[in-house]
Amino acid sequence: MFYRPESIDEALALKSRLGAHGTFLAGGTDLVVGIRKEKTRVEHFIDLTRIAGLDGVYRDRDRLRIGALCTHAALEREAITALADACETVGGPQIRNLGTIGGQLGTASPAGDVSVALIALDADCEIASVRGTRTIALADLFVGPGRTVLSPDEMLLSVSIAADRKSAFYKIGKRDAVAISLVMAAASVAPDGAVSIGLGCVAPVPLRARLAEAHVREHGLSDDAIERAAELAMSEASPISDHRGSAEYRRAMCATLVRRLLRGLR
Amino acid sequence: MSGAQQHNIGRSVVRPDVRDKVTGATRFGGDLCGPEVLSASVVRAAHAHAKVIRVDFSKAKAIDGVIAVLGRDDIKGTNRHGLIKRDHPVFCDERVRYRGDAIAVVIATTPEAAKLGRDAVEVEYEALPVIATMADAQADGAERIHEFGNVLATQLIRKGDAAKALGESDVVVTRTFAMGGVDHAFLDLEAGYAEMDGDVVTIHASGQWVHEERRLIALALGLPVERVRIVQPPTGGAFGGREDISIQIYLGLAALTLGKPVRMQYTREESMVARHKRHPMEIEYTLGATRDGTLTAAKVIIRSDEGAYASTGPAVLRKAVSHCTGPYRVPHVEADGVALFTNNCPTGAMRGFGACQLAIAYEGAVLAVARELGMDVVELKKKNLVRDGDSITTGQVIPVASAIDCLDAALDRFHWNARRKDHPAPHLRRGYGVSTICFGLGYGDGYPDASRARVRFAEDNVLEVYSGGVDVGQGLHSLLAQIAGEEFGIDASRVRVIASDTALTPESGSSSATRQTLFSGNAVKLAAGEVHRQVMDAAAVMLGLHWEDLAIKGDRIVGIHHENVATPLAFVLSGARARGFTLDSTAVYKPRTVAPTDQSGRSPRAFLTYMFGSHAAEVIVDIETGEVRVERIVAAHDVGKAINPREVEGQIEGGVAQGLGMALMEEVVTRQGRILNASFTDYIIPTILDVPRIEAVIVERADLEGPHGARGVGEPPLIGAVPAILAAISDAIGHPVEQTPATAERVWKIIHQDNAEHLT
Ligand SMILES: Cc1cc2nc3c(=O)[nH]c(=O)nc-3n(C[C@H](O)[C@H](O)[C@H](O)COP(=O)(O)OP(=O)(O)OC[C@H]3O[C@@H](n4cnc5c(N)ncnc54)[C@H](O)[C@@H]3O)c2cc1C
Repeated sequence: MFYRPESIDEALALKSRLGAHGTFLAGGTDLVVGIRKEKTRVEHFIDLTRIAGLDGVYRDRDRLRIGALCTHAALEREAITALADACETVGGPQIRNLGTIGGQLGTASPAGDVSVALIALDADCEIASVRGTRTIALADLFVGPGRTVLSPDEMLLSVSIAADRKSAFYKIGKRDAVAISLVMAAASVAPDGAVSIGLGCVAPVPLRARLAEAHVREHGLSDDAIERAAELAMSEASPISDHRGSAEYRRAMCATLVRRLLRGLR
Repeated sequence: MSGAQQHNIGRSVVRPDVRDKVTGATRFGGDLCGPEVLSASVVRAAHAHAKVIRVDFSKAKAIDGVIAVLGRDDIKGTNRHGLIKRDHPVFCDERVRYRGDAIAVVIATTPEAAKLGRDAVEVEYEALPVIATMADAQADGAERIHEFGNVLATQLIRKGDAAKALGESDVVVTRTFAMGGVDHAFLDLEAGYAEMDGDVVTIHASGQWVHEERRLIALALGLPVERVRIVQPPTGGAFGGREDISIQIYLGLAALTLGKPVRMQYTREESMVARHKRHPMEIEYTLGATRDGTLTAAKVIIRSDEGAYASTGPAVLRKAVSHCTGPYRVPHVEADGVALFTNNCPTGAMRGFGACQLAIAYEGAVLAVARELGMDVVELKKKNLVRDGDSITTGQVIPVASAIDCLDAALDRFHWNARRKDHPAPHLRRGYGVSTICFGLGYGDGYPDASRARVRFAEDNVLEVYSGGVDVGQGLHSLLAQIAGEEFGIDASRVRVIASDTALTPESGSSSATRQTLFSGNAVKLAAGEVHRQVMDAAAVMLGLHWEDLAIKGDRIVGIHHENVATPLAFVLSGARARGFTLDSTAVYKPRTVAPTDQSGRSPRAFLTYMFGSHAAEVIVDIETGEVRVERIVAAHDVGKAINPREVEGQIEGGVAQGLGMALMEEVVTRQGRILNASFTDYIIPTILDVPRIEAVIVERADLEGPHGARGVGEPPLIGAVPAILAAISDAIGHPVEQTPATAERVWKIIHQDNAEHLT
């Protein structure tokens, strides 16, 4: 069946009833590819694109709340550098016009560029079901490649990120567009000096480099502290080798990118 | 025609096919269909190397919608294809040799049913050791992929005494180069349609040589050639990737067996798994020079991964060996090439055809000699590049050797001497590279290479050209219209071209080897010249003057010395026809080349003519990540005469973009005979964002053989791009870059490993 709910409540009711037999459809840029490759089987579609108000971006003091249906294209010109730059590197214009934040997080890919940027912006996500809503740190959403902590009746409503930070994002891909990242990183510095660092393609999930964060939180952004943080970030990564690149290179790039991003944020 | 006489030659006429292509109206092979058409799907091997123990079609045949499952017992002919050796089974007998090997083809009422049927065919295998690398192929006691062993071919060049000359050289460098496999990545996937027309099976599918394909298909199916007709639909790219047979025999067999129309289309994944690739090669290159920078000798060892079947491998190896020193004068040369079978995807023709890999090697070696001597590489090049009348390594004298003209043209446009040396940022390095290459056009080496063409005035007085030559996107048909029209002062847009249909057109050889401008261009010019004589003969009769006193001017025939004589061309054509004159001629262009001797591999005329080119590139390298960005490329090519300058520029730009892909990102990654990146998600080709400003410089030193002095342009722009980019990266990082693709990781490793050496 193909369901097309027009409100969040209707969507949640459907999801509650269908559970694992129902699959949310947003931009379809991951889902349809999975279906065509016969990697994903869908019994019932729950198309979210008719739900009004889920694609908004709201400023809430020093936080920015982004609706699950917000597209990458809509965020490309946001003033938050890491977010805008990450969104701008996703696929090509057609993909960015369709692909959504909710879909990006729902896919839970360690190569999700925007996921990594959001993690580095200290993101929380709002999760809803007929049972109510809950908010968790984004870094805790991901369990493994393609796996999240969402229960079969739950849906992502929005993510909320720090809007008052200097931030940066850097992606190494095999070409300039429509390229799955080989490795990428994002970082932000809060007015109070807190630092968040996200790493992509170096672990089964988009990774938050907590040891590196803690080090610079304590020692500031001196050359020495950054150097140590870069090493720590490298130690937190557990990349694999595949046809795109070796674990050795990915690990080394964790340090290189963390060093580069943090220096740029001083 | 009104106003001043419009000339076709040297004019950027707009090709008649481009509007439909840009607007999406063109119907490519995959768009062809018919009522009640059946669909076909191929069962591929599940192993890279295995014995086939048992094949069972019964479950597949039981599937709803499946009409037939056809395998080797259903094919009446040789069940083989292959451009040189005919060793590629249409359907495997007792052995599979790579993962693209076909077991059977399933025909069904819908594509979905065909796919279900494909998946239901049961095949029992007995796995054999997989020969995954060239080292595996050469190992003692290695499993033999073919009865005669794992060596497909060897090739050599012996000129002078290289060992002695290297011993006496002031500097000698030895470098090892490696090139990965490359996919053609044309967008128009293998797709086509076949139907019976009486007892003739007509196959609509894109290849590169309709007449040879017809011959191979007829042999495989056991039919006389008259019972096979090939019609080429508009084609979205080939680059050598359509030289081998793909879907044609499956389609033909299905239509023939079932008497119904059939269509099929590969998926991108299937296309990448089944189709041949560019040869991965390993090249050990030793080059010597005197202290003043005169090259003395080269010793070249080439190993080429053939994959499972021969394809055009022996010819690719020969082209590699014959181009082993490129456009340089090297008095002593010893080159040895070996082509080895593996259980990888077969390798065959791709734009550059072996000369491309060697250009990477000789340019890398020349750069290494320059570095060793502390000499500017441009100076070193100029000292050693062939000049008019010099001979190259095969022994062939080159009358128009424009390597230095191209080099000067490229450097001049680039403002080479004013290049900036600053670093855009502390972690970014700017680098510059320049390449000079040569390329022999046509098949060469004594092969009876020929094009035929027919030109006539049709009953409606329209000038017609008939050519078997296929237009794979390079604009051949428009070019032939320009050449034919030129003989009569008729605008190319008013010439009708009938092409690439074995039932209607003469055999014109393949669209490959950068040969069609030269070969079909000449054939058309010869035929058009004869028709011109026929017209003037008729006009002379009708006007009562000698034909030498008449000329075509605009759409009239006029008297050269008699201003009052002027009559419409159309009137003469009709009159000629009424008098029973022929306005129709078929010509053959079949020049001679000479096969190399077995002992020396040399030939006084290995190729009809050579083309030269030079590229200058600027890159920026991120020395912390190894990422490379190409900022600018200037590409100068001596095309002899640009019959259509905009089309020449298009070929140069496309070749550079494709070369950039090979230089930086494109690589077929194979493990144990399985391609790990057989999709456009994982096999990365450049997009427009990766391609920099490309400046095409057209050099025109007339060719002695070509029509209006034209040579061609298809392959050289790719060949020149790769070494120029590698040289620029090398300049930026201060270390040689000798492996393609030079991915970020590889460049990073080169920088990093060397730093490690400095630290210890
Ligand atoms: C050619 C191409 C290039 C790409 N390039 C990149 C790239 O460079 N970088 C990158 O990061 N990604 C890339 N992607 C992946 C993709 O575009 C993004 O992950 C995108 O954000 C997915 O969003 P969507 O709306 O299309 O998701 P969909 O495909 O609609 O859904 C994806 C998954 O999320 C679930 N889902 C969707 N919405 C919700 C919700 N509100 N709550 C719970 N679950 C939900 C779906 O059920 C599904 O499982 C690319 C994809 C393609 C096809």
